[in-house]
Amino acid sequence: MPTYGPLRAGTYLWRNKGKSLPLVGVIVLAVMLVSGIVAMMDSIPLSIRTIYSYSRHYVGLTPRGDPEMTGKIRQTIEQEAPVPLDRVMAVRGLDLNVMSIVGKWPFVILALKPEDMSYYMDHVGPGELEGRMPKDGEPEVVLSEPVMRNLGVKIGDVVLGPDKPEAYSPYKVKIVGKVHSQEWTAVIPYDYVAANHFPPVDALLAFAKTPVEQAKLDHWAEKRFTGERARVFAFHKLEKDTSEMFRILYKILDVVVGMLVVVITIMMGMLISIFLSQRVQEFGLLQALGYTKKAILQRVMGEMTAVVVGGWVAGVLCAYLLLNVVRATLMDPKAFMLDPFDRTAYFYTLPVPVAIYTVALATVVARFRRFDPVAVVERRLV
Amino acid sequence: MTSLESASLVYADKDGDVFACHDVSLEVRPGEFLGILGPSGSGKSSLLYLLSGLKVPTQGRALYRGRGLDELSDAERSRLRLQTFGFVFQHPFLVGYLSALENIMVARPDQDCRDESMALLEAVGLGEKSHRLPHELSGGERQRVCVARALLGGPEIVFCDEPTAALDHATGIKVMDLLRSHRGTGSLVVVTHDPTMLEGVDRAVHMAEGRVL
Repeated sequence: MPTYGPLRAGTYLWRNKGKSLPLVGVIVLAVMLVSGIVAMMDSIPLSIRTIYSYSRHYVGLTPRGDPEMTGKIRQTIEQEAPVPLDRVMAVRGLDLNVMSIVGKWPFVILALKPEDMSYYMDHVGPGELEGRMPKDGEPEVVLSEPVMRNLGVKIGDVVLGPDKPEAYSPYKVKIVGKVHSQEWTAVIPYDYVAANHFPPVDALLAFAKTPVEQAKLDHWAEKRFTGERARVFAFHKLEKDTSEMFRILYKILDVVVGMLVVVITIMMGMLISIFLSQRVQEFGLLQALGYTKKAILQRVMGEMTAVVVGGWVAGVLCAYLLLNVVRATLMDPKAFMLDPFDRTAYFYTLPVPVAIYTVALATVVARFRRFDPVAVVERRLV
Repeated sequence: MTSLESASLVYADKDGDVFACHDVSLEVRPGEFLGILGPSGSGKSSLLYLLSGLKVPTQGRALYRGRGLDELSDAERSRLRLQTFGFVFQHPFLVGYLSALENIMVARPDQDCRDESMALLEAVGLGEKSHRLPHELSGGERQRVCVARALLGGPEIVFCDEPTAALDHATGIKVMDLLRSHRGTGSLVVVTHDPTMLEGVDRAVHMAEGRVL
């Protein structure tokens, strides 16, 4: 039966805001809570992928247990690589800790020879250079903008030094340049590191001729050097390791979100049951006047749909706004990663409206199944 | 128009079956004002529920225009009540979040009846209170809204179950006057224990212990 005028689904909700808004509010908070937890959790692997994203531009190879292996590895890769190589460079590295929302993570300052430094910067983290490049053999570094933001340093500051146990270098290593790039990069002169730091072992970075062939080179290197005295560092391996590392964590997250949904659904079911009890007189009257159970059910479910869908949409919008605020105020100043439009986070909230709607439907149907309007008009039920 | 043929309404009780109505035969004729009198517990309300299709006889038959109400589905009986009958109950039940005017419009959900509802509200003397919510009206005013709701659309029969029981005598008389004067060509069936409310009645039946005397 079509319903015109006063008994549209929105009428009750609009005129009983004191009752309908708390229901919407509970759903909004539940959606914000779930999406917030998942988005913050997702920010960890996102940070790993972002911070170490520089490694997708090349494949890194280090010898294992035999410093002489570097030359053999270079020979193998230059002779057998399945794609044309643009450059193979010998590098060394220094450890530096960067901050993340779960503590300190290791980050490598690459020690590059003068002839490789410009090439590296152009290929890995191109961007405008503020300041200057390091001088050969000098304790000077160039960092990209996100690294400097993360460390809270500026040009002229010292990042490595004799008084820094976790970032040791026998001389104070100053920042002389800042690259305005979103890629996390840090470079230092090769000669300085070779003269002052252990181990005296070169690693290799191999660049494919074209970026699209880099993945092929990475996979080949991984397979080719399996069982050899060499270790391969490739971005796809980092991605795979990250996914595996977080698989168990996401299973725990599934359980937590599941329990949260159950608790919220039970609470909402009880609230809906109370609200329906308060409307028994209305439903009895309408049925006595001649409204069918189906028409009343449809109307109540229309109201529930509006509450649940409205609550979910409002929750997603509020979560999006909140995550943007969190990113702007807490994450961005430290260059921490957070995606306010994290689809996985919003996907995780879908069980909230589905479970609440299912419970609401079951509650309403159970209540109407044996409902007798005469009991209402005779005031036996009110 | 609507009638009962040897109709009984039996409720199961822990002490056995209880006859709310027992072997009742009664017809509501077109346009008549039928009064149903009897003491409390005599089965007057149950009789009204059977005549109006709110209850189906457990024995015997209830008929509308010759067709058994038990042959109709629950939805068909509901449609019959909504489109053909009007109801005034003992307590002035209104939808709490709707205005007086909207509470009248509730009786015809499938059509735009705002003007007719307003005219009826003015006829029962509440034209200026059309936007008031039920809790802003007195008991008598609420029952007058219920009368207007029952009369909307010119129903064939208006069923009234003790419509004045919750009101003082003077207000009760006014409500009955409204029902009599605005029912048009429709029938009026009034259940009451107070004979003074049945002034102008065409026919009155008396009930006792579930039977028409």
